[in-house]
Amino acid sequence: MNKGFHWVLGFFLLFTLQACDKSERDAFYRSGIIYCSESNPVNFNPQTDTSSTTADATAHQLYDRLMDFDAETGHIIPSIASSWNVSQDGLVYTFQLEKGVAFHSTDYFTPTRTLNADDVIFSINRWRDPENPYHNISGGRYPYFESLGLADNIAEVNRINSYRLEIIIKQRDSSFLANLASDFSIILSAEYADYLLSQGTPERIDDYPIGTGPFKFQSYRKDHYIRFEKHHEYWKDAEFTSEHLIYDITPKSSIRLAKLITGECDAIAFPAQTELEIIRNREELALSEKPGLNIGFWAFNTKKYPFNNPKVRKALALAIDKNTLLEAVYFESATRAKTLLPNASWAFQSDADDTAYNPVLARELLDEAGVEPGFTMSIWAMPVERAYNPNATKMAELIQRYLSAVGIQANIVTYDWTTFRRHLREGRHDSVLIGWSADNGDPDNFYRPLLSCGAIPSGTNRAMWCNERYDALIDEALKTQNSQRRKAIYEQVNRLIYDELPLVPIAHAYRYQAYRKDLKGMVINPYGGIRFVGVTKTQ
Amino acid sequence: MPQYSLYQEESQPSPWQRTWEEFRASHIAFTGLIILTLFFFIALFAPIVAPYDPLQQNIDVLLVPPSWESNGTITHLFGTDALGRDVFSRIMVGCRVTFGSSILLVLIAMLVGVTVGTIAGMTSGVRSSVINHTLDALMAIPTLLIAIIIVAILGTGLVNSMWAITLALIPQFIHHTRAFVRSEMKKEYILASRLDGATSKQLFFHSILPNMIEMLVVQGSLALSIAVIDISALGFLNLGAQPPLPELGVILADGLDVAYIAPWNVALPGLTIFLMVLAINIVGDGLRSALRKRLSH
Amino acid sequence: MIKILIRYAILFVTTLLVLAALSFSLAYLFPGDVLVNLSGITPHNAAQRAALMRQYQLDEPYIFQFIHYVGELLRGNWGYSFVSGLSLREEIGIAMPATIELSAYALLTAILVGVPLGCFAGLRSYSKSDYIINSASMVSYSFPVFWLALVFILIFSLEMGVAPLSGRVSLLFDVPDKTGFILLDIILAKNIDSALALGDALKHLILPTISIALISTASMIRLTRRSVIDVLNSPYIAAAESRGLSKSQIFFRHILRNALLPILPLMAIQITTLITNAMIVETLFSWPGIGNWLIQAIYQRDYPALRVGMLAVATVVVSFTILIDLFNRFIDPSREKYERATV
Repeated sequence: MNKGFHWVLGFFLLFTLQACDKSERDAFYRSGIIYCSESNPVNFNPQTDTSSTTADATAHQLYDRLMDFDAETGHIIPSIASSWNVSQDGLVYTFQLEKGVAFHSTDYFTPTRTLNADDVIFSINRWRDPENPYHNISGGRYPYFESLGLADNIAEVNRINSYRLEIIIKQRDSSFLANLASDFSIILSAEYADYLLSQGTPERIDDYPIGTGPFKFQSYRKDHYIRFEKHHEYWKDAEFTSEHLIYDITPKSSIRLAKLITGECDAIAFPAQTELEIIRNREELALSEKPGLNIGFWAFNTKKYPFNNPKVRKALALAIDKNTLLEAVYFESATRAKTLLPNASWAFQSDADDTAYNPVLARELLDEAGVEPGFTMSIWAMPVERAYNPNATKMAELIQRYLSAVGIQANIVTYDWTTFRRHLREGRHDSVLIGWSADNGDPDNFYRPLLSCGAIPSGTNRAMWCNERYDALIDEALKTQNSQRRKAIYEQVNRLIYDELPLVPIAHAYRYQAYRKDLKGMVINPYGGIRFVGVTKTQ
Repeated sequence: MPQYSLYQEESQPSPWQRTWEEFRASHIAFTGLIILTLFFFIALFAPIVAPYDPLQQNIDVLLVPPSWESNGTITHLFGTDALGRDVFSRIMVGCRVTFGSSILLVLIAMLVGVTVGTIAGMTSGVRSSVINHTLDALMAIPTLLIAIIIVAILGTGLVNSMWAITLALIPQFIHHTRAFVRSEMKKEYILASRLDGATSKQLFFHSILPNMIEMLVVQGSLALSIAVIDISALGFLNLGAQPPLPELGVILADGLDVAYIAPWNVALPGLTIFLMVLAINIVGDGLRSALRKRLSH
Repeated sequence: MIKILIRYAILFVTTLLVLAALSFSLAYLFPGDVLVNLSGITPHNAAQRAALMRQYQLDEPYIFQFIHYVGELLRGNWGYSFVSGLSLREEIGIAMPATIELSAYALLTAILVGVPLGCFAGLRSYSKSDYIINSASMVSYSFPVFWLALVFILIFSLEMGVAPLSGRVSLLFDVPDKTGFILLDIILAKNIDSALALGDALKHLILPTISIALISTASMIRLTRRSVIDVLNSPYIAAAESRGLSKSQIFFRHILRNALLPILPLMAIQITTLITNAMIVETLFSWPGIGNWLIQAIYQRDYPALRVGMLAVATVVVSFTILIDLFNRFIDPSREKYERATV
């Protein structure tokens, strides 16, 4: 092959380019949006994964839900379900569906019908019903639904007619609708599922997705890109939606910012806290912020010695100075966390107990618990930036120093994100710096996935902590409709967590979205993943 | 050939002295040597000289700019990093880690390489066989690849990356030693010693080794510059030394996160690696041309 | 002639066998299950495991396992990535050309710039211009490539905004991977504006190519310069001068040919440095090449990918080295095998 020829040809073309129509070129570069995301999605079905990477890449791009959250008010608003009804006893939910909701037509599947009740039933049964042929596809785990105990609480899902269905639950659940509106409760195509089953390739359903969302899937290359194109038959008004949407997978936040500056990305995921000033100072970049529904914490593996001893956990919590961590890692873009709930939540308890920095007491407690000076433990630091912890490695290094002051040697462990979470689920860690972004505003969405017994197998309970009283309390709270009474129960829960300290709450961070100013229509949604419907590039 | 003059005490410089004279005549090479010596002393005395503990975090002085900038302070000559650690101290200790480990691994590679190379050169059985050729071809495998494999088997760490680079450097020493020993064995002074009844061991230590030292110094300087670059590259890629160990490549990678607001965290460690490699290369180059000039006189 | 060819063929095959043996033993040396390391498939139950064991002949002695392994490699069954489940042969098939392409452009730049400059410096050895060229090459030879690339990104992408910093072509162009060489793929691709895409791809090429080429150019200059000086000092040049040949006649008839001949085998060594630098630079410019791929694989502890990736890269490097060596033998049979570069 003649490389020299290429160069000559290329340079020739480069020069002719200058002559060719500039407006045509600009029109081309405006035809698509490039979003620099932070990591690979696990697959293209957010039902199977709780990581926000997967949800960001799929939930609002490829799919729709029965209901949505209003980005401004946080109220539940209709989506595929145009209206719904809740029975007097709070156990029967009836949904009326929109008509004419078209599924994606792609080169791997052409739908013959629009959405109806069968698709909704299939989508729910997939995670609810172990007998469903698709239940065990892609690992058979549905961590969001498992950790909330949602599957067990649904008694029946019945079709009333093509556009009407009812869901009967066993126990009252004040967060039921909110859970169905979360990023994870997406609607799949039953027709596509049947087609794949007849082809004998059901596993393709999560890798070659078909949904009703504003974008359809084109191609994906691991570590490089995901390509979407506009779904022209989208049922909602999407006039200002871009023709192409491309996720450029860029794990390093500094490189993401660099690409935002050069214009190689139009929007980026998780700008680093240190870089916010730069974004604010640059004319062509925009930064919007909202208080986030999230929590960053340090969880101990309570299944392992000596972390099964609350005294040891308490000692470790006392050994670190949370204010320093806040200053050094979040650069004032977070508030100190006392409990699991951020102050944006209605159930926030402002007078909750909090641990205070006291290395002397920490050492005493360690001595009482029989942990000798020189004890070695591991701190797992997650490898990706999240709003709730923008730099876990840095935080781990700070904690490492604090622990060495009380005679504990800490090793920092990190892997790539997928491996990291796999090993965490297997419980290989001593302690881990990680966090949680809520999927909806309900307090149960913090308490249940993070610390309930049911959340251990689904891999969201990083402390591996199981406490009967805790589970009983949060179950009781869920059954309570009166919000004052419910809040009082959560205060008891906070007290229990403070006494036991399976995890040390560290910070509630703001959510940031950085993008180029020529991108019109970007909205931060505090209740879940990023959405690109209605976003276009202008002059 | 010693010559005696009855009338004048004319000194006859040894080959070493003559090389040194030639070397010193080049200002650049001499400057390089001074810088290299400086690095050497930093490597030796970094923990004593460094004004701060390189791991000491100080939350009150995050990302302080270097002293020459308008808002920098003299207490932190090169500023501080994102954890408030003193960059100057970190770079000094980083020199020790990077330069020290490089020297160590070059010495190990040299020892192994010379031993194997001498055995291969003095025995005639294995000569120019397919095995030799194959070994030569395998030499082309990039260090990075060897390092990746070693990391996969043993895990990350400075020592593991040192093994990888040592392994990659050994063949060069084998190759040169073998070629040198073989050509030397054909020379007459060796034949003379042999006729005197010298054993192979005596032959090596008394005749060949003294002549080989120059070649080894030159090869060693080449290997050293490769070793410094590779150690820091592996540290930079997070395959070698692990944070918080202040290895220059690791410091550079750490600084990358704050490259925009604190560019000195990227610029200074990079510049240090560059200067170190440049000094080694200049000295190596100076040595080679000094040798060349001495031989051509 | 035939004899040389046969010798090199034997050398080539033995080297590949040694590499294959290394790669095979890695399946045992890496942590974890040998079967998973070898196949990339995690068996879900005992029956599946037994079937895989049989398929990979893991119940037989090592030597048979190895023979089977080589057979599978030749048949193109390289196993699957343990993280993504993708076929490793396809993955490497896309990643490898990207690296070769980048290295080739860098090498070409290095030769086009380095050889003339080296000749110029050599002919005027110990003059001021030689001094400048020589010092400049010494400086650029000492750059750590990862830092150089960062500095380029900082200056040319972020400050001046003249060149993009990541990837091979703007992702807005949907270029299908046919050959793996981006410029070719763009020419072959339908549905896209080729002229626009080529311009975009060339812009993406600039920074990574220069980062790698700068270091290779420096060694090229030094090699050429040294070689020209050596030739200049040889008696036949003095003889030619005494015969009254003009300077340009001497240069083109005697110096150039005799100086370039010994450089060729030294280039073989440069290939290793070049590819190593390319692999490091790829990670900084998000170039979708084999270096980037291997480093991702090591971060993810994707052992099957590392096992085959190592074999693929080593095979490519070793093949180039042996080919250059063979070529060198053909044009200059008097030469002893294999020489090392001293830059």
